[in-house]
Amino acid sequence: MAGLALELGEVAGIVLRSLMVSGAATLLSASWSIPLALRLVLGGEGRGKRLVMDLLNSLVGIPTVVVGLILYFLLSRSGPLGQLQLLYTPLAITIGQAILITPFIASLSAEALRSVRERLWETLISLGATEGQAAATVVDEASPGLVTSILLGFSRAVGELGVALMLGGNIRGFTRVMTTAIALEVGRGEFELALALGAILVSLSFLTTLTIRALTREIGWRTLG
Amino acid sequence: MIELRDIWFSYPGAEAPALRGVSLRFDEGAVAVVGPNGAGKTTLLKVASALYRPSQGRVMIDGVDPWSLDEDGRTEVRRTCVYLHERPVMLRGTVWENVAYPLRVRGLGRDEVEERVERALKLMGIRELAGRRASQLSAGQLQRVALARAIAVEPRHILLDEPTANLDSHGRALLENLLRRLASQGTSIIFSTHDRFSAQRVAGRVVLMEDGVVVAEGEPEEVLKL
Repeated sequence: MAGLALELGEVAGIVLRSLMVSGAATLLSASWSIPLALRLVLGGEGRGKRLVMDLLNSLVGIPTVVVGLILYFLLSRSGPLGQLQLLYTPLAITIGQAILITPFIASLSAEALRSVRERLWETLISLGATEGQAAATVVDEASPGLVTSILLGFSRAVGELGVALMLGGNIRGFTRVMTTAIALEVGRGEFELALALGAILVSLSFLTTLTIRALTREIGWRTLG
Repeated sequence: MIELRDIWFSYPGAEAPALRGVSLRFDEGAVAVVGPNGAGKTTLLKVASALYRPSQGRVMIDGVDPWSLDEDGRTEVRRTCVYLHERPVMLRGTVWENVAYPLRVRGLGRDEVEERVERALKLMGIRELAGRRASQLSAGQLQRVALARAIAVEPRHILLDEPTANLDSHGRALLENLLRRLASQGTSIIFSTHDRFSAQRVAGRVVLMEDGVVVAEGEPEEVLKL
């Protein structure tokens, strides 16, 4: 019984840590990805924009181990950022996941903004809005799409393994998150705990999907007319 | 008054210009722009309302070339006009909020916004739709909301692209009455249409376009005989 209580406590700790690390990564990534998307879609003309969009789109599916590997070299003791001593800390996972999901959030946000802009811009200007007012209206109208991109970013962050394993090190009670715990437990043949964590991950993904569906309904009626 | 002086307009990548040397003058009253698909009617309306910058030539709106001004100045000139798309585009929110939008961007006070929105909704016979969302409206109702949104700002010039296309006979009659009334009150109305009867009923003058060129202009009876 005491063992079960201990296990439940550990699972709760792992889940909570996963949510905090990936939640922080999502917020951090959104803090630069959304402004980047705004700049790309509403920031006037620019020759490099197409190139940046292509780059973001091509990085959307970058393997997590590649991001983990690059950051590992940067953060390792002999790396250029080694002095910060971030490797094997929750902060390292947060930074790694934030970087991993940046192309994802930025390109989805840009697409949400672009489609609303395309549909509305001329009407807003013809109704007497200044370009600034029209841009603010576009952002407001695209807000469900922006929130959706952030939620999908969180979903990708919380479900990734490569960055969490390479930058966090899977240290019990410190950097162990759901995905690294599942990998460890499977390796040890402890399938019960792995399955329980897997079920929680799937539930989180399901919850994200439900939220996105509610938001998509909102977007759906906006595109009428 | 809106004046177009030797306007040429080309869409990026298009082989032929959409407008070729169009010169027109729109004073008070209603003018119908007719012609086959691809004649340049919509482009003409967008250039005349300063939404599109002509490739060549000048647009003068009440004596001012909006493209000679900075962005703020151009917005001020644009605010004397309202352009209505053939398929009205609505914002998130209710009908009331949609009609209030152009008033809010003009910085009008809350009381004036309320008064003008109420008046416009009543005039278009859609007072009961005020709290409804755009997704719940039919094409005809959307068209009326777009018109209410246009007349709420009391513009000097209203430019409408195929305004009767989505309306039933009742809606069409209501719209035509409204356009005639606005024209008689000094608003300049420019509308494109495929409906020659509508053009005859509303317009004092008809412009016939083909291939980006004005081929005839004059009394509805004369031009529509062509």
